[in-house]
Amino acid sequence: MARLELQEICKGFDEPVLDRLSLTVEEGEFFVVVGPSGIGKTTLLRCVAGLEVLDAGRVLIGGTDVTRIPPYRRRVAMTFESYALYPHLTVFENIASPLRARKADRAALERRVGEVARLLRIDQLLDRKPHEISGGQKQRTALGRTLVAEPDIFLLDEPISHLDAKIRHELRRQFHTLEELRRVATIYVTHDYAEALSLGDRIGIMGRGGLEQVGTAREVFQRPTSLFVARHMGQPSINELACELAAEGDAVRAVAGGGSVAFAVAPAHRAALNGGTGRLTVGIRPQHIAVLPEGAAADGRQIVEARVEIFEALGATGVLIAETGGVSLTALTSPDARFEPGQPIRLGLATDSFLYFGADGGRNLHG
Amino acid sequence: MSVDQLPLPAAALDDAGRAAAGPYPDWFSKRRRGRSLIVNPLVPAVMVGLPVLVIIAIVIYPTVWMFYHAFHDTNMMSLFTRNWQAVGWDNFALVLSSDRFADSVLHLLRYLLFGACLQVLLGTALAQILYEVVQSNALRIVLLIVMVLPMMLPPSIVGVLWKFLLQADNGAFNHLLIKLGMLAPTDRIEWLDADLALWSLIIADVWQWTALPLLIVYSGRVSLPPAIYEAARVDGASRWLVLRRITLPMLKEIIAIAFIIRFMDAYKFVDKVYVMTAGGPAQRSELPVFIAFQKGIREFQVGEAAAYAIIIFVVAAILITLFLQYLKRVLKAQGIA
Amino acid sequence: MTAANVKLVKTLVLAFLAIWLVFTGFPLFFMIVTSLKPVEEINRMVPTFWPETMRPQNYAGIFADPGSLKSLVDSLIVSSANTVLSLFLGTLAGYALARWVRGVVGENLAFFILSNRMFPPVAILIPMFFLFDATPWGTDSYVSLIVLYLVFNMPLATWLMMVFFRDAPRELEEAAYLDGYSPFRAFFKVTLPLVFPGMISVAMLCWIFAWNEYLFANLLTGTTVKTFPVHIPTFTLGSQTLWNLVMAFSLVAMLPPVILFIVLRRYMVRGLSLGVVKG
Repeated sequence: MARLELQEICKGFDEPVLDRLSLTVEEGEFFVVVGPSGIGKTTLLRCVAGLEVLDAGRVLIGGTDVTRIPPYRRRVAMTFESYALYPHLTVFENIASPLRARKADRAALERRVGEVARLLRIDQLLDRKPHEISGGQKQRTALGRTLVAEPDIFLLDEPISHLDAKIRHELRRQFHTLEELRRVATIYVTHDYAEALSLGDRIGIMGRGGLEQVGTAREVFQRPTSLFVARHMGQPSINELACELAAEGDAVRAVAGGGSVAFAVAPAHRAALNGGTGRLTVGIRPQHIAVLPEGAAADGRQIVEARVEIFEALGATGVLIAETGGVSLTALTSPDARFEPGQPIRLGLATDSFLYFGADGGRNLHG
Repeated sequence: MSVDQLPLPAAALDDAGRAAAGPYPDWFSKRRRGRSLIVNPLVPAVMVGLPVLVIIAIVIYPTVWMFYHAFHDTNMMSLFTRNWQAVGWDNFALVLSSDRFADSVLHLLRYLLFGACLQVLLGTALAQILYEVVQSNALRIVLLIVMVLPMMLPPSIVGVLWKFLLQADNGAFNHLLIKLGMLAPTDRIEWLDADLALWSLIIADVWQWTALPLLIVYSGRVSLPPAIYEAARVDGASRWLVLRRITLPMLKEIIAIAFIIRFMDAYKFVDKVYVMTAGGPAQRSELPVFIAFQKGIREFQVGEAAAYAIIIFVVAAILITLFLQYLKRVLKAQGIA
Repeated sequence: MTAANVKLVKTLVLAFLAIWLVFTGFPLFFMIVTSLKPVEEINRMVPTFWPETMRPQNYAGIFADPGSLKSLVDSLIVSSANTVLSLFLGTLAGYALARWVRGVVGENLAFFILSNRMFPPVAILIPMFFLFDATPWGTDSYVSLIVLYLVFNMPLATWLMMVFFRDAPRELEEAAYLDGYSPFRAFFKVTLPLVFPGMISVAMLCWIFAWNEYLFANLLTGTTVKTFPVHIPTFTLGSQTLWNLVMAFSLVAMLPPVILFIVLRRYMVRGLSLGVVKG
């Protein structure tokens, strides 16, 4: 058991994929990498595993430089997105594979495989071949194969994204509770932000070339360092409004939609913005827009008159898309509300929670 | 400047968060530098190198040897005295100006047209019939095995067998035709005579090798997805239309590959010529490859034989290049290569 | 199409199938019939289509001839040794080409190796004669034939094994590396079992080719080593060919490939089509 350190690792194929990526995952930490597909998340795992050769940089496991150590001597376990189960071997033999590799004695092998299989509740499937079991069972088998290995580092590549919702939930719970996973350094890759927020001790949001931001769920959600991060955290996606700053006396307003809508900048944010350029993007999370009933108090919020465009009731929540002054705003509401297209409404915007991103590169202007 | 025209920060990143391909970082190169952790690069080199070495020893070296002697007056005597003279293009001139060579080329063309092409046509038709007409799966397999049996015989034995069957007087084939009423009882077809010898060769070859395209096309047909055919049936397409618009287009590549394989084999192997007709009578069933063997091995006119071999080799090289290009395309489309 | 037309087409198609079956089956049938006849019956002016006198002793006769038995053994030695060698070299190279030697170099190398199977061997025979003559074994030896048949079989084996290895997902090997298997052990643990059916088809094709080859065996060998196709012309009595023995012996020699085909038919088509048809 050991910590994992990546020092300025670089890897490219036809294009650069990882550009001087540095990261430390502590022993016992569950680190989730989230990002859009094709961004290099799997490449990151393959570099840690040693399946890819780094173009530059170093990988350290427990303080030892393993950059030039081949994967079969790294004590790293990885599940593949495709599961990569050996089709000609039974579930038992698939799980036992790492133990056979190190020539464990028969009794120990059977005991350990049995333990893991019971833990993952696949002990009744041990005689089956991979093509005879379901997707969720395949996933558990793949997980079992990594668990018996008792490695220093766990790498999990989209382990549950191809499963249906119910099993996904069940396995997600299992990831929370699996002692084996929680003892060592784990990197878990997913494209699903909810999975990331729910599972990760820390989360890294991967953008082009590397990690855009690393932090706890609260940090990356509430204090995204860039528009990219903000955009990939949260469903429905954050409202992005291209604005220009306009000073009005000692107040500052961000003007969008050709000047027809202006958003007040909360006093707490003014200092940061005065140093910024005139142009910026205002980010408003849908949950920070409330639909105010007739006559309700502003209560510190900015009131905007708008018109309903679309309303979707999604069971637990409702998603409202409203239009004001040529700007579309998405708001999160109660699912029980009733809105007709074209209906005029009042929106209350929690200006305290606005996010401001610079025009060049989308850095969060709060720093 | 109105706010509308402001460049949005969002526009700098596409959905995957990629910025427009900017200048590459200094460590980046399109050529991979890092040495694999999995395998020492020497190992693959040796693994591929072994067969390449074998090929150099048993194919390249002999071919170069032939090229060399194609430009010399080498024969049995000069080989033993190691005393041969360069003669420039004389051997090629001799070969290309000879009627024997010209005739053999015409024979070859007929052999390929009626041999290789006919085999592919028949094989495709039989595969289709077997799949469409024969309903019982077990019967299909039995028929397939029966039809493939000739392929399992050595070509030389096939030659012997057909020579035996096609004897004019008491050959079984003539008498079978008599029995079936297709030949008058007193008539005899002189199958191995000058006029028919080449045709007899073709018949024997068709008998043996039609099974190859049959087997390949049949397997290709079996592996076509049934969903397409169900859709066509729902649309009420006739069998002929289905064959022409669905089956044949989808089997096009497979049929072409079967043709290529048959074509090259027919071009290069001459076992049957040797055994059945020995090129005769009166050199009427000779193929270029056969003459090259004859000149080289029987008459020991090595220089002339080499000229034959080189001409054959060059034509083959052109054909093979074209065929392999095609094979590459097919395999690329399948995602294999 | 009218119903009558459909019926006509169907009849024609069935007639074609029937004619073809007769065309295919008759020579085989007559082979068997001939193998059971005495010589006198074969030499009649009008051949009989069923033996009037059964002589199954013909089969015993060929094995009474020590030359026949030896020729089968010789064929077995040559074709088996060549198959093992072709498969070994082909597996090594095919694996390297499928996994490690990719890109332009690997592709061209693979096609170069395959092209050797397609070239007419006439260009190499005479120099091969001198080449083998210069070796300690000489031309008339097992070694010469075993090596010579590599010209045909090794390129085929390399090519096909490459195709089969490409079909076997690389990820499985990578999973094995992470389980702790070295590349060598991972190959035997994961990859080899997956390509095993392919290997069988390659082995079968190589073996049948070497088993059946006549021309080169006839030209290079014939005294010390004599494979069965070369032995067949020796069934003569004076100037007369003993057709019954020729046919009996041919049928016996045909058995191994036929059995191989019937048992392993499924695996064979992929190999026959250079990997294009997934049988």
